[in-house]
Amino acid sequence: MDNNKTQRQLGGELVIPVLAVVFTLYFFSSIWNSPWTAQVSAFAVGGILLLVCGIFIIRCGIWLRRGEASLGFSNLFSREDLHTGRIGLLVTTIGFCVLIEQLGFTLTTFLFLSISMIILAKGKRPVFIAMVSAIMALGGWAVFIWAFDTRFPRGWFETTMKAVLANG
Amino acid sequence: MGETFAILIEVFFETLTFWWVIIPTIFLGLIVGGIPGFSAANTIIILMPLTLAMTLQTGLIFMVTLYCSSRMGAGIPAILVNIPGTAGAAATPLDGYPMAKQGKGQQALAISFVSSSIGGLLTTIIALATMPILARVGFYMHSVEMIVVMLFGISLIASIASKDMLKGLIAGFLGLMIGSIGTDVVYATPRATFGFLEFYDGVPLIPALVGLFAVSEAFIIIEKKVIVARGGEVASGNWDSTFEGVRIALSRWWHIIWTSIIGLVIGVIPGAGASIASFVAYQQSRSFSKTPELYGTGHPEGLIAPESANNGVTSGTLVPLLVLGIPGGATAAIMLVVMQFHGVSFGPSLFENQPKVGYGMFMAMAVAYFLMLFTILPLSRYMSRVTTIPTIYLAPMIISFTLVGGFVPREYMFDMYLALGFGVLGYIARRTNYHVAAILIGIILGPLLERYFLLALKKSDGDILTLFSSNLGNVLWVGLVLSLISPIFFNWRRKQQGVAK
Repeated sequence: MDNNKTQRQLGGELVIPVLAVVFTLYFFSSIWNSPWTAQVSAFAVGGILLLVCGIFIIRCGIWLRRGEASLGFSNLFSREDLHTGRIGLLVTTIGFCVLIEQLGFTLTTFLFLSISMIILAKGKRPVFIAMVSAIMALGGWAVFIWAFDTRFPRGWFETTMKAVLANG
Repeated sequence: MGETFAILIEVFFETLTFWWVIIPTIFLGLIVGGIPGFSAANTIIILMPLTLAMTLQTGLIFMVTLYCSSRMGAGIPAILVNIPGTAGAAATPLDGYPMAKQGKGQQALAISFVSSSIGGLLTTIIALATMPILARVGFYMHSVEMIVVMLFGISLIASIASKDMLKGLIAGFLGLMIGSIGTDVVYATPRATFGFLEFYDGVPLIPALVGLFAVSEAFIIIEKKVIVARGGEVASGNWDSTFEGVRIALSRWWHIIWTSIIGLVIGVIPGAGASIASFVAYQQSRSFSKTPELYGTGHPEGLIAPESANNGVTSGTLVPLLVLGIPGGATAAIMLVVMQFHGVSFGPSLFENQPKVGYGMFMAMAVAYFLMLFTILPLSRYMSRVTTIPTIYLAPMIISFTLVGGFVPREYMFDMYLALGFGVLGYIARRTNYHVAAILIGIILGPLLERYFLLALKKSDGDILTLFSSNLGNVLWVGLVLSLISPIFFNWRRKQQGVAK
């Protein structure tokens, strides 16, 4: 059991090389019939990447054979991720990207900050969190949208405030 | 000579009277530089109507100050929360963030401010003195020479991958492949775009920067209550750390000088920019250091090098703009538009017909850096408190404000999802000990390297030996090989001396 704990977790370490190989092969397939100008640099760089990944995978194979490593993923995912609220934060971040187009920057930021902070704080101090979230969201709106007219996603709140401010 | 000197003195004191423009602009620049997506160029564009309404002198002082201070501002979040405000500050967290985690955020900020200000001030003076010579650098830098300069930057991958060379190379070359996404520069053939039109222009840099550094870092820091690591110093709440940072930076004055000169020379080359300069300076600093093993662990010299270099770039970009009318970067291009609106003609005649405008821009830069040293340095004590904010509040704030920053440059919702995707990639990389900086170096330099490589091959009808056909290029090749071999040699010699002792 202890031996398993000290073993190198190669499953996690192999994710990036495997992604790199798959992406490089896809890249090559997309330029197979292209002019040489589109191919030369990509084949050179991609070839080296495949070679380096190949050496890395062989090295992993040797470690596995010697029993110095396992194909575990505990360095990447663990029960701790649920406990720390990391999964919850990821879900709310995806929600933030989806909702911001409809709700605009200010409302989505308020919702995202409130929910994710409550998840990370494990439900403690919700009123304080709501106040911090409101201040941050309104502060962001005041600085970036009202003062500098930055091109942030706009929604109901921004449109209403624009009309209110335009009419004094 | 005497007449020019009199003009310089006159312009210097005249610029000082514009302190009421310079000081507020310094703080504006710090804010826009610190937020990914809000570059000085974007801010100048947003405030263009205001700039055009100002007198030429006021407008130029405003733009130059914003340019310099935003460059410095980009280093603040890079040090405190591992999020570079711009690609030019991407090498800053390599040693700045480990210092912040050790509880030395205040000291790191002071080092950054002093090396940025002195580096910027010094290169401004050098640029003024050597303008005619520097202006020619751009003419000598063709595709072959540029390839070697890029390789200087890419060789940093090997440096930061010293713990596990294979992982460093995988990260770096994966970055180079990602950087090659988009249409090829000659026939516009789409490559590896996954069917997304948004990829035809290549991978946008800000979403990559936001995802790899900010989003992934936010998912990592929630494991700790605050950023400062257990066992790190508790913020003392006094000025000692600031003074210590100033002392550390000033005691390495020679380091500031030569790394800022790297920035100046690279800044003169149109299209090169701060990101290449800071990576090259970091790599060179590590190569010639007596303690290369300390780089990446919170070594002051690893912070001084990129900060001095990226501020050296600011004065470098003004040289081709003023002497040749060729802007060295996006901000310089916008300055050109504003100056043309006011009827300024560029070229050597500028310094004869309107010397106050030509010299005035450099003087504005010098005065801005001078005032920055005294206005920003005291803030290091308060800014460093960011590292003591509980991560349950800090992480969601980082994610929301930086993801939106990823949206700003192109206004595509796609870019926010892309930043999130890069965030996941960055998180996997951090958890499995691949360096995100190596991926970013590849993404930044990949398309540039390809462009110059193709140009060189096109000019020589596909002859690969063209890479060794220029004298300057060959000198640079020798420099590159030396910079790669010298750390191995010095390391071997140190080991030999250790054995002898």
